[in-house]
Amino acid sequence: MKKALILLGCPESPSQTPMAVYVTHKFKQMGYEVTTASTPSAMKLLEVGDPEGYYIENKIDIDSCINELEDGMFDVLVGFIHKDAAVSYFVTFNSILNTPSIAIIFEKDMEKLEDFQNMVAESTNATIVSARAYHNPTPLRVRFDKAVKKLNESGKI
Amino acid sequence: MFCLETYLQESEDYEVLISRAGFKDCAKVIDENAPEVIHVKAGEKILGARIIGIPPVPVGINENKGTILFPYTKPCYGTAVVEIPVGKEEISKVRELNID
Repeated sequence: MKKALILLGCPESPSQTPMAVYVTHKFKQMGYEVTTASTPSAMKLLEVGDPEGYYIENKIDIDSCINELEDGMFDVLVGFIHKDAAVSYFVTFNSILNTPSIAIIFEKDMEKLEDFQNMVAESTNATIVSARAYHNPTPLRVRFDKAVKKLNESGKI
Repeated sequence: MFCLETYLQESEDYEVLISRAGFKDCAKVIDENAPEVIHVKAGEKILGARIIGIPPVPVGINENKGTILFPYTKPCYGTAVVEIPVGKEEISKVRELNID
């Protein structure tokens, strides 16, 4: 079974938690075993919304898991980015795993959004899904679906 | 085994040069404060912990003081630059990771 790693950032942006559930659902539908790496606070939000673990089955701590990561351990990486620190984490996970990846970048501030996009584009070959989003995850969801469809059709994931 | 996280929680002999900052600002602080700067790949292990950052990730070396300076990132708190004392052997190990 193919494996996907979903990397969550700081949970202060409301779009992250519902999108994390959506991305997990999407990859499970595609036959992936999905693991979610996050901070304890981001995981708590997911656990409250998914008490039976219907969507979020495999959970790991973002900081303790990084030392165990190795090249090729996952078949795809999906990272949520709405802070500078999340760019650093995503680029680092991408560099270690050396696997096809999708960066979901969202920010209210257009200048920051562009800055994050440029930093990811300069340091990775990731497919970038970005939108000026905070409360409303719909633009991200629509763009994520299109990106996944394209990657799937090209055989990359 | 050395654990950087525990070390930073329990020791007082390290210095934080900047905190809650962006990675680029931290890279600048390392460049400005270290007599010698090498660059490593993102995810490289230093003192047993993976370095998180945007490559090439700067790591400062101050041989006279016996310290290294490196970026330390947390998801909700941004990036800091930490200067911690290390042995000569560790400095040699860090130099071996240089990609310049």
